[in-house]
Amino acid sequence: ILDKTRKLLAECGAQRAAKMATLLMFSDISAQKEASSLLCRPTSDDQGPVYERMSLAYSPCSERFTVGERSFSRQYAHIYAARLMQMRPLLSDRAQQKWGPDVLIRKLCDLQTGEQCCIVGTLFKRMELQPSILKEISEEHNLLPQPARAKCISETDELILEDELQRIKLEGQIDRDKCVTGSVIAIYGAEKNDGKFTVEDFCMADLPLQTPRPALSSDRFVLLVSGLGLGSSHADSMLGLQLLVDMVTGQLGDQGEQSGAATISRVLVAGNLLSQSTQDKDASTKPKYLTKKTQAGSVEAIRLLDELLCQLVASVPVDVMPGHHDPTNYTLPQQPLHRCMFPLSSVYPTLQLASNPHQASIDGVRFLGTSGQNICDIQRYSSMDSHLEILEDTLRLRHLAPTAPDTLGCYPFYQKDPFILEECPDVYFSGNAPTFESKLIKGPDGQEVLLVTIPVFSSTQTACLVNLRTLACEPVSFSAFSADDDEERCGGLWRCGDCGRWG
Amino acid sequence: MDELYLDNIDEYVNDQDKIVTYKWLSLTLGVHVNTAKQMLFHYLDHKRKESSAQLNATYLVSGKFVDNGQTCHKVSVVKEDKLEDFKSKMSLIVSVHVYSVQKALLKDSGPLYSVDYDAVKDNMKNCSRYSAIRCASAVPVCSPELQQTREIQQSPTPEPENKKPGMNGEANLASKPSTKPQRGIMGMFANKSAPKNQDGGKDVKPEQKEDAPVVDLHKGKPDVKANPMTNFFGSQAAIIPDSPQRMETREPSWSPKKKVESVSHSHQGNSEMKTRKRRRVLKSRTFLDDEGCIVTEKGYESESYSEAEDDVQAAKRAPRNPVAAKLSSSTKPDEKRSHKKTSANANKGTKQASIMGFFQKK
Repeated sequence: ILDKTRKLLAECGAQRAAKMATLLMFSDISAQKEASSLLCRPTSDDQGPVYERMSLAYSPCSERFTVGERSFSRQYAHIYAARLMQMRPLLSDRAQQKWGPDVLIRKLCDLQTGEQCCIVGTLFKRMELQPSILKEISEEHNLLPQPARAKCISETDELILEDELQRIKLEGQIDRDKCVTGSVIAIYGAEKNDGKFTVEDFCMADLPLQTPRPALSSDRFVLLVSGLGLGSSHADSMLGLQLLVDMVTGQLGDQGEQSGAATISRVLVAGNLLSQSTQDKDASTKPKYLTKKTQAGSVEAIRLLDELLCQLVASVPVDVMPGHHDPTNYTLPQQPLHRCMFPLSSVYPTLQLASNPHQASIDGVRFLGTSGQNICDIQRYSSMDSHLEILEDTLRLRHLAPTAPDTLGCYPFYQKDPFILEECPDVYFSGNAPTFESKLIKGPDGQEVLLVTIPVFSSTQTACLVNLRTLACEPVSFSAFSADDDEERCGGLWRCGDCGRWG
Repeated sequence: MDELYLDNIDEYVNDQDKIVTYKWLSLTLGVHVNTAKQMLFHYLDHKRKESSAQLNATYLVSGKFVDNGQTCHKVSVVKEDKLEDFKSKMSLIVSVHVYSVQKALLKDSGPLYSVDYDAVKDNMKNCSRYSAIRCASAVPVCSPELQQTREIQQSPTPEPENKKPGMNGEANLASKPSTKPQRGIMGMFANKSAPKNQDGGKDVKPEQKEDAPVVDLHKGKPDVKANPMTNFFGSQAAIIPDSPQRMETREPSWSPKKKVESVSHSHQGNSEMKTRKRRRVLKSRTFLDDEGCIVTEKGYESESYSEAEDDVQAAKRAPRNPVAAKLSSSTKPDEKRSHKKTSANANKGTKQASIMGFFQKK
């Protein structure tokens, strides 16, 4: 075995040389170093290499999504008013850019029948299948509570545009199934005799301006991961998670890989650190005598998380964002998880407990993203299925979560809507996607943004590495083995990998 | 390098029937992870040449892998017999090394996780000591600075004392700016009176810890070292307990939270969590009124009590509260408010508030 391995390694060396010319991905960078084999006896000299973790300038922009004093005595109308007020001038500019500087921009109350003009307002989609608490409890309907549907769109949906004073039904060249309530857009067309507005064209606010990111001299990476799912009954993904931690902290791998891992300057965990099964939803309805001495499902899971984070923060700065299943508030913006839950890891200054959404600048590269609730909600109320497509759409709409507060829980902000993108990020991500996808998009004013949908780690065992210098994104996956791998199937026969018997 | 490690590994693998992973070996022998990997390889090689020993190994393979046009960096733990197969599927190999050595053939990689988990758990503070990467900024912050940042974080939250009984352990701390957070927590669970708590934290803590009901809630962990309460919010104490201590005290650090919740469930309107608990109790007061008559009135009064009495009283108190709500004999306005508060609490405790409550036909 030893000779065979040595021969293979020599061949690998030749392969590596050939691959030098290709685009440098993490694997390539890690493999570039001299072939130092760990498949040999330990040498008497040094202890082993120690690489310095690349340390980069980091500044979180957390004030935006921090909710200070919380007052729930307000109506949600204020957010919509603030949203429209802030976005109207942006949309007027875009309208003029698209349909000419002398396009008529009218308020709904000033509409003349038959006149070609542009109107700016908030979309509202009236959906039959949208869950309505009032319908459910109304005695007239006698409806039983409906289970949550995957998609709430139907053929009978109607699109309506609302501005400060009025609303009008829309029809025409606008794909109703792709639109969601809460988007602010500009529409070009005319009001016909029947009182509806016929759409000929429409436009969105599109990407905001972007400050060019600094040119970096060397490759450095940020690891994005989400959906750790700790505390679930299936512990299958735990070794994969341990391998991830070991790779980032430089425990596993050859010297090349370890020195490559030292260039991972930060780890960002985008939500759902805990599994959904830790949320004992029925705990509040269970009688006291059943729940008195039991511990919440999340307690053990948080302890596991703390131990995991402790290993990471001892070696790399980590940003932790909460998600749908994590113990923090439900409404967006979700506040950072509390330090008291992490006694082991919170003593390290490298632990950064962040909000959801989260915005930060890592070595001048601006990151903005969420744990995925905004994307999932749009997926539910539109015909779109690809998380990446929806992610791009929210960027073009210039709004992180247009369906908030209609179908997505949100804090009743008063004079501002913090989900409006004011500055274009360089990396825009969303967590807990079913698969990994990434795309580099360009904006109308020369912006360049990397879109990343981070997959759920507990089911895909995949994380992503973003190269800050090139804005390339590469998936990293981890695997182990299980008893099922042993069977080899051949036609109708199968052979046991252990004893070799046929069955 | 002397080869004692070969004997060590032999003992672990053959005598103790252990699964020896590189990480476990590195932490046990105190060597760099790469040295541990090489040691394992050497042992495997040496043993197989020496005798046809019953040994199995798992390997770690990582490299570039192309799957349906998508290139990714793949890191895998594989069994020895699948190693070559795996390597042939990779387009570029970055690392190959021994992951573990054990006597039995592993069908599942689950035990590998358990071994590493236990190894790291016993060495929480040093988990990155033998790795190949050092991070300059990852230095644990020492306690006074951490306490200061915590106090700064707590001060913006205005928590009136009587409003939220035990809703959030930290909320009660914030209501007492004069004492340090740890003393507040200590205060919640100690049986000693307030003045005693004020002087030096350390000597009082071990004492208080023994009295604390936390001990009852242990899952039978042996000796709990000092400062379990302080570990509730991180290493606050000036004595930095080293990692084994901290691991032992992790469990009790959750039970104070449970205790706080149980206190709040006993519907106490008064949340002043000083050393001895105070509660409002329905008591008869006999006094001489303006006209010279002796009057007996029932009313709520604060009294302090110790935890031992609490559980006994809790059962009695719950049915009494709804009864008290109906008694409107008290003249004091704040007692009336507390009536409403406790009755509201009682309602919440007995029945889940249903949204139908808003839509009842009157």
